[in-house]
Amino acid sequence: MVRIKHRYLLLNILYPDQKTANVRIAGRPGEQDVPYSVQFRQPSSDQLTPQILLRIIRDGVATLFGDYGSGKVSSSLQIKYFSPATSTAIIRISRDHYRLVWAALSFVTRLPKPLDQPCVIQVVRVSGTIKKAEEEAIRRARISIRRAQRAGKGKDVVVAAASGVQAVEGADEDDDFGMMDGIEDHDAPGEAEEDSDEAG
Amino acid sequence: MFYDLNVPWSATDAQLPRTLAFLDELGYNVVALNHTISGKLPAQISCAIPDPLPYKDLPAKLEIRRRVTLTLTDSYQNARLAELARAYDVLAVRPVDERTLQLACGSLDCDIISLDLTQRFPFYFRYKMLTEAVRSGKRFELCYSQGLLGDSSARRNLISNATQLIRASRGRGLIISSEAKTAIGCRGPWDAINLAAIWGLGQERGFEAMSKEARNVVVTAQLKRTSYKGVIDVVYGGEKPAPVEKKEEQRAEGGKVKGKQPAAVNGQKRQAETIGPDGMDAGDKPISKREAKRRAKQARLSTGDGEKDVASESAVAEPGAASGQKRKAEAHGSDGVAAKRQAKEVRLDTTNEGKVAVSASAAIEPTSTNGPKQKAGSLESDVETTGRA
Repeated sequence: MVRIKHRYLLLNILYPDQKTANVRIAGRPGEQDVPYSVQFRQPSSDQLTPQILLRIIRDGVATLFGDYGSGKVSSSLQIKYFSPATSTAIIRISRDHYRLVWAALSFVTRLPKPLDQPCVIQVVRVSGTIKKAEEEAIRRARISIRRAQRAGKGKDVVVAAASGVQAVEGADEDDDFGMMDGIEDHDAPGEAEEDSDEAG
Repeated sequence: MFYDLNVPWSATDAQLPRTLAFLDELGYNVVALNHTISGKLPAQISCAIPDPLPYKDLPAKLEIRRRVTLTLTDSYQNARLAELARAYDVLAVRPVDERTLQLACGSLDCDIISLDLTQRFPFYFRYKMLTEAVRSGKRFELCYSQGLLGDSSARRNLISNATQLIRASRGRGLIISSEAKTAIGCRGPWDAINLAAIWGLGQERGFEAMSKEARNVVVTAQLKRTSYKGVIDVVYGGEKPAPVEKKEEQRAEGGKVKGKQPAAVNGQKRQAETIGPDGMDAGDKPISKREAKRRAKQARLSTGDGEKDVASESAVAEPGAASGQKRKAEAHGSDGVAAKRQAKEVRLDTTNEGKVAVSASAAIEPTSTNGPKQKAGSLESDVETTGRA
């Protein structure tokens, strides 16, 4: 039997707008002092559930690609993992149509009605296995915590006190922030374990 | 390296640092602030974007360029485009109809041709016209932001025009930029590449449009402004290097020569070889006391001068070197090393009159211990210098 091949998109929800503060930073009346990278990567609201995210994607595909696109996408689209705390999600989509979903995600500028916040969704990794997407999510969370720590140095913004990540001076890791080989357009040999594990 | 060569700039925009920080967060490395001029050029052309920017919290790693976009209207006259180009880092033009597009592709000397893709053009883009522009180094710009933020007709026109542009240019000579007035209109580089892939530009081409082609624009524009006839640019003017650096280099070279000394070379060659390298391989390592004594003795024997005192090298060298050569040798340096060398030079002078003292000093291998190896070393260094020349 022929296995259906999927792609796993790791995506971040960023909040570039000043007014959308989902959390209040303790002991900070004015928001001006919070470094930008912390502002952009703030936690999502609790109201943002995987169901709402799925609805955003379906609606986006429907407006961009119409019934054809929705029909192609709907059978394989699935939210595998969503964490409001880090605003990170992993979604699964069949390999042939992941670009449709990706484009629909790029066209999102606003979360729908109950939240109604401006947001930007950035796909940071396209992977053939969920494991790789997971590892990338962890790596990126680490990097962003480190950045925030470095940016917040001197100010007493408690960013990651409980995260257990050490602040490394001048860490080189965040230099390779790109996705040079992040898009797996072709089949990799080690892709057999694709559906074996669930994230989160 | 990802480039976003179109971030609109206005003096009253309080959101700009936030937009720049967001672009940095998304992974862009170089951003061009865009100042748009339409209609008549002012009498006194100067860069409207201040340098440095008056914001305190700019991302440190983000490189910022200054770009001007001139809208080509019907009543356009060709004057003063060069003057405008000099004031900014990148010059873009925005044609509004087919005639001005033809003009921009052909004769105008600009870096970027930026079309407003949200409006409907009553003509097709022709391959010939576009390749003419691309061949002369101009790039076409796809701005995606209005498609994201605008209404559905703007989005439809953007997709239509972008597809047309990609089709007509065969995907060559395109750059992708945002033209985002707020941070919400920016997308990550790979998201924009995916959008272009949906519109018909291959992923590789899209990646090039984000990085290589955009870099091309920035670099050639810079070269046009700063270089001599767009060809030669002085990157490093040959100022005197720091003395520490030079010393290290010398030591490295000396070590290299020492490392590859062959076993034996004809002793007669020595004089010929000593002329060649002019002081390049003279290391500064002080010779041992024993060696100095040996040399002093040699010098004494060859000159025939019956000097008794061997303990002090300079004392030995000075009576021996009575000729004018000695003063030249002294000019090399007043430290102990130069004094030790003198003994050697004197011997050379007596065997071969008229040799320049500079070259003689070069022949002395302070690190080597015996005769044949010295010769081999100097031969080696001579070969090296000629090879380099």
